[in-house]
Amino acid sequence: MTTAATATLVPPGDDASANVQLKYRSQAVAKPYFIAAIGLFVGQIIFGLVMGLQYVIGDFLFPEIPFNVARMVHTNLLIVWLLFGFMGAGYYLIPEEAERELHSPKLALVAFWVFLIAGALTIVGYLAVPYATLARLTGNDILPTMGREFLEQPTITKVGIVVVALTFLYNLSLTVLKGRKTTISLVMMLGLWGLAIFFLFSFYNPTNLVLDKYYWWWVVHLWVEGVWELIMGAMLAFVLVKVTGVDREVIEKWLYLIIAMTLITGIIGTGHHYFWIGTPAYWQVWGSVFSALEPVPFFMMTMFAFNMVNRRRRDHPNKAAVLWALGTGVMAFLGAGVWGFLHTLAPVNYLTHGTQITASHGHMAFYGAYAMVVITMISYAMPLLRGREANGNRAQVVEMWSFWLMTVSMVFITLFLTAAGILQVWMQRMGDSPLPFMVAQEKIAFFYWLREAAGVVFFIGLVLYIVSFFVTGKSRAPR
Amino acid sequence: MASPVEEKRVPGDLAMWCFILAELAVFGVFFLAYGVARRQAPALFAAGQARLHLAPALFNTLLLIAGSATAAAAVRAFSANRQRAGRWLLAATLGSGCVFVVVKLGEFAERLKAGITLSTDTFWMFYLSLTFFHFLHVLLGMVILAAVWWMAGDGRYRPGSLDGVETAAAYWHMVDLVWVVLFALVYVAR
Amino acid sequence: MSASFTKSTARNIFYGGAVFFFLLFLALTFDTTQALPKRDNRANLTEQVARGKNIWETRNCIGCHTLLGEGAYFAPELGNVYQRRGPEFIKAWIKGQPTGAPGRRQMPQFHLNDGELEDLVAFLKYASEIDTNHWPPNIEG
Repeated sequence: MTTAATATLVPPGDDASANVQLKYRSQAVAKPYFIAAIGLFVGQIIFGLVMGLQYVIGDFLFPEIPFNVARMVHTNLLIVWLLFGFMGAGYYLIPEEAERELHSPKLALVAFWVFLIAGALTIVGYLAVPYATLARLTGNDILPTMGREFLEQPTITKVGIVVVALTFLYNLSLTVLKGRKTTISLVMMLGLWGLAIFFLFSFYNPTNLVLDKYYWWWVVHLWVEGVWELIMGAMLAFVLVKVTGVDREVIEKWLYLIIAMTLITGIIGTGHHYFWIGTPAYWQVWGSVFSALEPVPFFMMTMFAFNMVNRRRRDHPNKAAVLWALGTGVMAFLGAGVWGFLHTLAPVNYLTHGTQITASHGHMAFYGAYAMVVITMISYAMPLLRGREANGNRAQVVEMWSFWLMTVSMVFITLFLTAAGILQVWMQRMGDSPLPFMVAQEKIAFFYWLREAAGVVFFIGLVLYIVSFFVTGKSRAPR
Repeated sequence: MASPVEEKRVPGDLAMWCFILAELAVFGVFFLAYGVARRQAPALFAAGQARLHLAPALFNTLLLIAGSATAAAAVRAFSANRQRAGRWLLAATLGSGCVFVVVKLGEFAERLKAGITLSTDTFWMFYLSLTFFHFLHVLLGMVILAAVWWMAGDGRYRPGSLDGVETAAAYWHMVDLVWVVLFALVYVAR
Repeated sequence: MSASFTKSTARNIFYGGAVFFFLLFLALTFDTTQALPKRDNRANLTEQVARGKNIWETRNCIGCHTLLGEGAYFAPELGNVYQRRGPEFIKAWIKGQPTGAPGRRQMPQFHLNDGELEDLVAFLKYASEIDTNHWPPNIEG
């Protein structure tokens, strides 16, 4: 059954407690990245809870933390912790794929501290001073890039992100160039380079609002529905190769096919953002046609994950990582695929654009695709980084509980926001006497309360997730 | 074009068939949108269609069908190990594609001169979108055919190892199929 | 039924497809760029509008409101607020914040002077005259 090719991939580990060494010592630089990612994730959720409460108790924490500040912190922390996760994943998987040590572990650690401190300073800046003051202090007038959704970072922070990304890419690219070139590492690098290149459009901020918005999507859409999916696919494929022992050749050809479908549908799919922002009407057709097919690659990814696990040639002791990998497949399809499709056709989007429907899709898609794939990677790599193939049974049980708590509560957050969104559309956008925005908001407050409750459960799940890192006990894998 | 080597075998590469399916889905949804838009503005579409030239479009249809036939013949030739014939037949398909492109470019040039763009009206938006999108597929198909023609030079396509040439032919048939539907829907159905 | 499925074909489809559709995207972007002058109200892009956009950005308005449907969903759409409320109401509203009504959503006080308020209103007026294909569906945004 086990061929010579796969035998090299499969550590002999029957006993998960055995002291496992990293294949390459420099992979250890991934550890601080993963820890920072989880820490920032906690911050993101805390601010999410604050905002959720502000939705129903409007003056909660006002004027100390106005909603716009809380939202900026919430979304920016999300982006930054995912970037930390991607970088950690890159530093972990590229040496293993390239079969050589990282070009410069020292540079990776320096970049880590630069990124963490710059990120922390930016968040402190958001919270400590009014945004206009932050803009003045950071010289926004020299090159105004601030104040656009998700790109609120001071220009200097954006420059810092580019610098950190370049050192990261330099480090990894040299490692790959000097080592073995696999499909997984190639796709990962393509995704990461794409991430850096498309981020450059965040520096383009014309006065013309339509052009501003047009190219703003080149960052936002071409990230999350383009190059990030390459990163996600590569990370998922890497973990699946490791935990299933399925022949790399099989996993890699499916990876190519899935990301081919991603770009075939996703690039022109950008058009679903060009319906109502001043761009020509034909985008309604082009955007609808292509984005209608955007669920396809996500569905393929789900099938892919389940197929590979079913065809596994070994039972990896890290059951939690397998659960996260399968969960990513399902939730990415639901959140990005199904919930995206719900409002992507132009006639539907005409009514739902800029409502809670968008928010519901955003929550499940980001959690299902990107938060979960990073956690999958952390779940697989972190035990190895801590010197064991898998965590003990009790730790894994706690981690699986956190999986279900977070995932199920996210489903409910999405459902409640969807309900709120449908009612909002009905009251505010349809009928002969549409209600004003705030009147409609008050009528759907019930669903915001439910969303906040689900958010609390999510937070409990997250706490449990962190607890799982500190659970000790019998190091036997769950059977 | 069932291969004599095995029974019940999908010709060409499965990855290509996934791609073909995705392409057909895109065109399918596009045609559906065309149908819906046409029902909403029948007069506008009738007026636009009246300005289309049937003869060159019909000529192009026949060209693509002929190209499909030579592509299929090329696969048969290679499966009989008739290398020279196979390559000439591939070249013939490529030639039909070239003529198609020239005729189509003439049509685009005429529209461009008349000041018609994607933003002129719904009919011309669909007309330009569909024909241009298909046009790009013809170009892509020609690139694939040219690559296969080039690689056939070393005699790699023999009975039993026809994947490359079958894959290219399958793609070309898709391009042909889409055009036939497009021709019927946009040029003929009034 | 059997079929071959090779990594090299899958790879070629990935690279070919990515390049093909990115070029198509660039072509559509080119056409959009050509078509925009008729739609994006650039004739009214004055210095004042530019200053207004800067105020819009540096006060992070997008953190609560939507503009042409994009932004946060916490506060009303402002792409058509110029038509919905008119310039005088907008200025008075911004000056009067926060309302301090208990339990109500609050908008910060931004301490804008009269000139800055005019700039912001000019920006909102410009934004409201962009051709958005008749979005939003009604005046409530």
